Amino acid sequence: MEERTEERPAAAEGRPSRLTALQEQLIWALLGSGLSRDVLVQAVGELERERGPSAGGEKGDGGESSEEGEMDFPPPIYRELEKLSPEESAKLRAEVDQLLQGDPWHVAKMVKSYMQQHNLPQREVVESTGLNQSHLSQHLNKGTPMKNQKRAALYTWYVKKQCEISQQFTNAKHGLASAEEPGEDVRKGRRNRFKWGPASLQILFHAYERQKNPSKEEREGLVEECNRAECLQRGVSPSQLAGLGSNLVTEVRVYNWFANRRKEEAFRHKLALDTPYSNQSATSSHANLPPSPEHGVKYSQQLLCDTVSSARGGGGERVGRLVGSPVQLEPSHTLLETHNAKQVSSGGPLPPVSTLTSLHSLTAAPTSSQSLIMASLPGVMSLGESSLLIGLASTQPQSVGGGFTTLQPISFQQQLHASSQQQISQQLQGHMGASPFMATMAPLPCHMYNKLDSPQYHSSSLLSQAMVIADSSGLGTLTSLATVRQILTTDPEEQTDSPLQDDSLHLQPHTPVPASSGSLELYPASQTTDSHPSHLLSPSPTDLGSYIPTQMVSTAQ
Amino acid sequence: MAGKIQSLTDEERAHLLPLLRNAQWVEVVGRDAIYKEFIFKDFNQAFGFMSRVALQAEKMDHHPEWFNVYNKVQITLSTHDCGGLSQRDITLATFVDQASLM
Repeated sequence: MEERTEERPAAAEGRPSRLTALQEQLIWALLGSGLSRDVLVQAVGELERERGPSAGGEKGDGGESSEEGEMDFPPPIYRELEKLSPEESAKLRAEVDQLLQGDPWHVAKMVKSYMQQHNLPQREVVESTGLNQSHLSQHLNKGTPMKNQKRAALYTWYVKKQCEISQQFTNAKHGLASAEEPGEDVRKGRRNRFKWGPASLQILFHAYERQKNPSKEEREGLVEECNRAECLQRGVSPSQLAGLGSNLVTEVRVYNWFANRRKEEAFRHKLALDTPYSNQSATSSHANLPPSPEHGVKYSQQLLCDTVSSARGGGGERVGRLVGSPVQLEPSHTLLETHNAKQVSSGGPLPPVSTLTSLHSLTAAPTSSQSLIMASLPGVMSLGESSLLIGLASTQPQSVGGGFTTLQPISFQQQLHASSQQQISQQLQGHMGASPFMATMAPLPCHMYNKLDSPQYHSSSLLSQAMVIADSSGLGTLTSLATVRQILTTDPEEQTDSPLQDDSLHLQPHTPVPASSGSLELYPASQTTDSHPSHLLSPSPTDLGSYIPTQMVSTAQ
Repeated sequence: MAGKIQSLTDEERAHLLPLLRNAQWVEVVGRDAIYKEFIFKDFNQAFGFMSRVALQAEKMDHHPEWFNVYNKVQITLSTHDCGGLSQRDITLATFVDQASLM
């Protein structure tokens, strides 16, 4: 306990103290009483002037100022400390010291998860602590070392923020406005930018699937739901809304969110419409399909790996990666390629980033960011993201393929008939209850497949329709699925149902139609029976097998 | 100076004194005051503690009665204006405890 006060100055400064122990004590006492370093140094200067140069040598900061100059040191956060009552200030310091003594990485994880939980922007931390944002980000995410002094500032902000937030929540209960600064500052005069939390997004996407244009009452209902979820995520009672601060969900925000999603959808639809025209020239490439089933498989794996890793990498990176993959894909998969080519080319510039978020809706999974990537590159998707999960799977956490829940039947487009497409989309809507995506995609496939006369292609298109594979083992499944598909689809019209049911992306557009219907291991087969996405996820071949017959039945229309 | 300081009510005493007692504060015999003794590693620590308390006392305009010998500090808290314990004493006692931990 007491020892800390002696070590602290030296440790914090990172340099041998030139003070006597008592001097250090006194300095710390002064600083602890609410004096900021700045004020102290200034006061020293003034006093010296008053009393004359003989008053003494250097007092105060122990030589630190020479290194840091006046800058922002101490960071604005310390100024706020003065405003606290001395007890709280003392308590705060004690807590900060405790954190400083702990393992920096552990504390960083704590801070980071707290920020995620309350959806706090890094910007706020940076502004009030004077830390460099890049450094802060690296420290929190990757454990890049940070000097004790800076960590002290960070922990001070953290402790203080916790107080503020709990105060906000408490005050909310009593109906008082919080006197503390809930994340904005009089200095900055700026409220933190609102950010949707994952819990709210889930709710919104679900609602979007049900209805794209909610009425005011429905929006208000969503507001309540989202705020409740956000409070729960933060571990507080849902009635204490004020604690959410700048991240409080309001009706206007919900309204805007829906409007943006509708716009995104329209944009995607527009993109989709563009692609079919450029597709026709590529049809001839279909002939290339048969030769490389393995290739395709490998490809999908590759893609899968890419996407998986990219998905984990983070939103921005993912997008980039996905964009890259189609390029690779093109050469190997004719079907896909065609499709891809269209997508990629017409897609040209990626749709607005927000488009990616729309995929989320399909997923309804907590972290659908991964799926987002997928969705944005329909061509890529169909290529055989075996790990892609159809939105149906939304209710269940995906395994490896992990978050690619929302792969909407992009491959749908590759359907054979326009009519079936429509049917499919309708069905899809019915079954999946989601995927505006599918609707969008619908028009595309026609072109391609119409040119194919062999039933094989049909089947492959069926396969392509299969969207999602629940897990990494899906590759194998897909393969068999492809097989199954072919068998199943004797008739293009049948596809109407099957795409819905088949979530598996067909990796191999070709038609090695090994009549191994017996080996059907359709994943998504479950979809036929219930539109519940969760079924997509259940990766049990046995189940699939049982579904096959169902599919066949249903497809036989 | 502020208006007349109120002495602690019985309710408040019943509520607060147990907490203080838990923190090793003792009620002084013969007067309405609380007392505690702190022992530190050495004089520097002790005086650093006293400096913190002193600064706080000035801020609160409420001063303790205290004695210090090397690493020992004995503190008695009472409010002269009301002749007994008041909320200020409680507040300062809390602060003193905090400061002794630093």
